[in-house]
Amino acid sequence: MNLENSTSLTNEQITSDLLPQKFGKRGMIWTSLLILIALVGAFAYYRQLKYGLVVTNMRDYVSWGIYISNFVFFVAISLVGSLITAIFRLTNVPWRTPLTRISEIIAVSAITFASLIIIVDMGRPERLLNLFIHGRIQSPIIWDVIVIGTYFCLSLFLLYITLLPDIRIMINAKDKLDKRFSKLYRWLGTFWKGTAAQEKIRNRSITILCIVIIPVAFSIHTVTSWLFATTYRPGWDSTNFGAYFISGAFLVGAGAVVVAMYVFRRYYHLEKYITDKHFEKMGRVVVLLALLYMYFNINEYLVPAFKMKKPEAEHLRQLFGGEFAPLFWFAILVGMIIPIIIMLFKKGRKPLPMFIAGVMIVVGAWFKRYLIVTPTLLHPFLPMYNVPESYHHYFPSWEEWAIAMGSLAGVLLIITFFARVFPIISIYKTLTDQNENEQSS
Amino acid sequence: MKTNNHHKLFIITLFLFGTAISNINAQDSAASTSIMSVHYFLPENKIPYVEVSTKKKSGKKFEPIKDIPVNVYFNEATENNLLGKVTTGINGEGRVSLPASFKATWDSLTEFKFVAVSDSSGGVKSLSGDVTIKKAILVIDTTTSDGIRTVTAQLKEKKGNEWVPVKDIEMKVGVNRMGGILSAGDEETYTSDSTGTATVEFKKDSLPGDQKGNIVLVAKVEDNDAYGNLLVEKTVPWGIAFTPEKNFFDQRTLWSTRYRTPYWLLFMAYSIVIGVWGTLIYLVTQILKTRKMGREYDRNLSTQKSG
Repeated sequence: MNLENSTSLTNEQITSDLLPQKFGKRGMIWTSLLILIALVGAFAYYRQLKYGLVVTNMRDYVSWGIYISNFVFFVAISLVGSLITAIFRLTNVPWRTPLTRISEIIAVSAITFASLIIIVDMGRPERLLNLFIHGRIQSPIIWDVIVIGTYFCLSLFLLYITLLPDIRIMINAKDKLDKRFSKLYRWLGTFWKGTAAQEKIRNRSITILCIVIIPVAFSIHTVTSWLFATTYRPGWDSTNFGAYFISGAFLVGAGAVVVAMYVFRRYYHLEKYITDKHFEKMGRVVVLLALLYMYFNINEYLVPAFKMKKPEAEHLRQLFGGEFAPLFWFAILVGMIIPIIIMLFKKGRKPLPMFIAGVMIVVGAWFKRYLIVTPTLLHPFLPMYNVPESYHHYFPSWEEWAIAMGSLAGVLLIITFFARVFPIISIYKTLTDQNENEQSS
Repeated sequence: MKTNNHHKLFIITLFLFGTAISNINAQDSAASTSIMSVHYFLPENKIPYVEVSTKKKSGKKFEPIKDIPVNVYFNEATENNLLGKVTTGINGEGRVSLPASFKATWDSLTEFKFVAVSDSSGGVKSLSGDVTIKKAILVIDTTTSDGIRTVTAQLKEKKGNEWVPVKDIEMKVGVNRMGGILSAGDEETYTSDSTGTATVEFKKDSLPGDQKGNIVLVAKVEDNDAYGNLLVEKTVPWGIAFTPEKNFFDQRTLWSTRYRTPYWLLFMAYSIVIGVWGTLIYLVTQILKTRKMGREYDRNLSTQKSG
């Protein structure tokens, strides 16, 4: 771990800096705002339950609207847990320590809401049970349910197992912490004594989890892409979809981590732990991922555009120069090209430009998911015939916006509450890294 | 200077974001003209109904107007003559059947008028429409002679107490198939002769029917100015009996039921699920092991303290 001025930091200072902090005034405003947005979303969902999916603007053709765009977005963003924790750990990336827990909690919160938003999209939540009673293993939807459930459990377990030593530190530092959480800490980790035998089991378990979580993480997004690619529709009928989705997921996940790094560093005063060097390194990673995603985008659009098969042509024209063109070029420029240009330069890999680039990537990625889902549904192979004019267009109803924004607020609320209760950077690992650095020097 | 650059970048991002949002919301706002039309239907010479259709012109297209409350009257728009009230659906259409209370009036007349009126509502001005109809019936029959099958459809209108054949009326005579009427002969439509009859030699003799070989013959007069829409059907065993393939649904394929999953898929899916969840369960047992270690550690510590 690369602590700036690490020699001047004592173990007590590190522990004190990294222990969870009470919400300040800004924290309270932020949390209240998120709760308010989530409540509006909950009210909109109550209306949807009461009146049915008719409150949405989804109809016969656009039957997957922003709920599914949101679902794909959440699944994508959750992939970052495996990138930072598993891949960086297995490849022994030395600067990963302050980023791992941030990425793990992003993964857990995003996958939680990915599961919930699917239930929202079903309209009748009690019908979820039918997936298990009448589900067919031949269906990619069942594969998705299985892999998302599995990834959620693996991510939660990974988060828990890496938290154990920190929980012990928090139990020992109970005087400095909020008394309300003491019971929770004791329930979660009072058994953890940090003995050599326990530590051996924990390390081995983390390694096994890291190995298992990578293919499962790849599966969640590949299977999600297959939900589209296994149907015969313009824009989805592609063998490129698995890799295209995975590369996009890594990019948006990394972008989200960069945003979270900046916010936590600034508002929790973690400049000594999340340093400019971390932004510099993450900047390089994000550029690489953005270039990779751009490569798959070129594959995804250039090859069908070269052939211009009739149904594909109409879909592509709408994207390149038609109704969806501003949104499409916004997603390409803001979600990929401008962040690449910013981060290619050393000055662009400083915290603030990185934060702006990260926000652009995340916002661009959300609209990119919308563009993957909706335009295709508006361009079926059989022409739309004898349907009301409104079926030819789709713009989400206020209930859909409220639920989608409520789910985004929900993800941020989980991260916010987690950071209130647990250290957002591993205290134990930071101390271990510091001690190792001191010993080696 | 640096702050200025950040501001510019923020404004550009905001602009692009705003453009994207406003684009999703793009709506047509062309001026519109609304119309109402009334159509008469008599299926199987039984209970007639009236269909009201409301549309508005938006740009170059006609769009249905939904949720328009319409009153439908018999002969003239008075309260006593109210047949019923209907609200147009998502396709801009609503339907009212002739109530039993009008049977006597209906039987006594040979020509009648249906009037539809809507008040102005929901930004749409008051609309009205009517249709005048001569009472007629359509009869379908079949004959077979020397192996040649013939379908006849006869249109008769009521004059006084008599049913009189109507000549020179265009009609469809064919077989009911999914998505429309397949002509029974070579022509798309047929015209009634001086006996009011259209005679069609049945040439579609290899059509698949139901499991007994039944097909449904249809005769239809469509949107006729004087007689409206009339339709009659007759089921005949002139098709080829359909025999479902017995083993079709027993195949193990990707499109089969959950009980007929291909073995290779079952093997792969369960191997992966058991492999991953087996590992997860193993790891949970490892954590439980560390719990046990923790309790032993506490016991040893308290033993040492008490010792």
